[in-house]
Amino acid sequence: MFSKHVTKDISAYCHGELSHEESKQFAEHIIACAKCRAKFEEVKLGVKLAEQLPQLTAPDHLWRELEPLLGRPNENRSAVVWSWQMKAAAAVLLLLSGWGVWLVYSNRVDALLADKRAWRVKRLDGTPTVGAEKISNNGELAVGEWLETDANSRAQIDVSSIGAVDIDENTRVRLLETRPTEHRLELARGKMSAHIWAPPRLFFVNTPSAVAADLGCAYTLEVNDQGSSLLRVTSGWVALELENRESIVPAGAACETRPSLGPGTPYFEDSAAGFQAALKKVDFDPDAATRSTALNAMLDQARPRDTLTLWHLLTRVEGEDRARVYDKMAALFPPPAGVTREGVLALNQQMLDSWRDAMETTWMGFGKGVPKPLAEAYWKFKNGLSRRLKEMAPK
Amino acid sequence: MVAEQLIDGRVIEACQQGDRAAFQLLFETYKDKVFSIAVYSSGGDRAVADDVTQQIFLKLFTAIRQFRGDSEFTTWLYRLVVNACLDERRRRRRLLPWGETVAMRNPSEKKPQEKQYARLEVAEAVRAAIGELKPKFRLPILLKYIEGLSYEEIASVMGCSKGTVASRLNRGHSQLAKRLSHLNNPAAWGE
Repeated sequence: MFSKHVTKDISAYCHGELSHEESKQFAEHIIACAKCRAKFEEVKLGVKLAEQLPQLTAPDHLWRELEPLLGRPNENRSAVVWSWQMKAAAAVLLLLSGWGVWLVYSNRVDALLADKRAWRVKRLDGTPTVGAEKISNNGELAVGEWLETDANSRAQIDVSSIGAVDIDENTRVRLLETRPTEHRLELARGKMSAHIWAPPRLFFVNTPSAVAADLGCAYTLEVNDQGSSLLRVTSGWVALELENRESIVPAGAACETRPSLGPGTPYFEDSAAGFQAALKKVDFDPDAATRSTALNAMLDQARPRDTLTLWHLLTRVEGEDRARVYDKMAALFPPPAGVTREGVLALNQQMLDSWRDAMETTWMGFGKGVPKPLAEAYWKFKNGLSRRLKEMAPK
Repeated sequence: MVAEQLIDGRVIEACQQGDRAAFQLLFETYKDKVFSIAVYSSGGDRAVADDVTQQIFLKLFTAIRQFRGDSEFTTWLYRLVVNACLDERRRRRRLLPWGETVAMRNPSEKKPQEKQYARLEVAEAVRAAIGELKPKFRLPILLKYIEGLSYEEIASVMGCSKGTVASRLNRGHSQLAKRLSHLNNPAAWGE
């Protein structure tokens, strides 16, 4: 079924009408198929728009005008059937109607509906809590609720029909949103491992220093007490974002974040220890001279695969530093035709993208990462409709 | 949804026996949903929607005697609603000059608060775009988003298969996205 295109199932997927297995196969196809992914983005926008359709309130005069038109009632039967329970029901309905009007006008309907949405939580160890309640074996995490684990407890969350998240010890997470076009968690502290088979940009995790946007992948995300975080990707891709700063992290790579600074520069975990130590200074040291010295140390130890890091750095360093990064990159992986030194130093986006596209296979490794067609699909996706959808997404 | 739970077999039985009070309970429970579908199906013309809603409940008052409980009451009711809206559309197509459409905005509506204005504008644009869809694409969207029905329930109301519902929702969503592609930016949503 899912070896063929899946465009006819897009709405059913968004509305949770597919089985768990079908949803998984759907997402796997969408990640790999540019045609279906483009259609998915279109239908997803349609779903988001249709969700804005409000239920209207019928005018009060309708019943007054309708009642005289109804036939004469049968009084005998009415006396028998219209029991006290029904009168009570009518009274409750009238109360509910008034309450409903108040809710609409106080803009709380959305919040109320959101509260009904929940994810299943399974206890793995100890006694995790949701709100003030301990979970014995299974529980629910509703929108707005916190799930907490202590030093001896762990839990697993079913993320709607699109994946699972393991919550490690001493972790605090909250469900912020779950709807067909967006699922969002907040990780305040601790560690979580996500395995997501959704199409790109359906699952997000907010941390104090960045937002992790899933691009179809598996990863761990850790937040310490200072609000800094460490992302480690084991398959696929994850984007870390804060305002205009973005780091794209592929399988085998990691990225640190800091509050107010946002995501640092991604690096492969098999890069030299000295390279990683120098990168940390380049990203987060407040002293400009220290950063410049550290950049030299980085460039000395960079391998062809580390062009992932250098490519991100191009837009984050300036002047002579940028020129040195360019020269090292050009030595490790010569730019393709049409990409010039002047253009890259001027941050010509088309040239940057073109060079990045050429380097992808080097970044993905051989046989360890995502296949080239999938990587290509991702970059096309990222530069296309998804960009606009990301801009639309609530912050 | 809570109000709908008050409508049980006894209420429906009372309605079948002509009990006006029971029927008023039924009316109060479903009037907003029925009216909403009528408004969106009539291109936003609330006067037409008033008439259609009254016709639906008038018909319900007599036809409810024929309800035998073979299906869910809501499925049966929404089938009545869908048929009434389709009949009204056919009638209006005979009366309206070709290409004439009805403005969606209700002039009597008050201006919303400034910070909610952008989102209400989006909702207004969606209302207008919904009104321009063909009924076979519009009605499944209304049954999904206004009534909250599942694909199986929509299929039962529309008298078609679940696959057809999925296909029509797909096409309806696509057409909405194409018609409102200009809203695909954060400023349009007030963000």
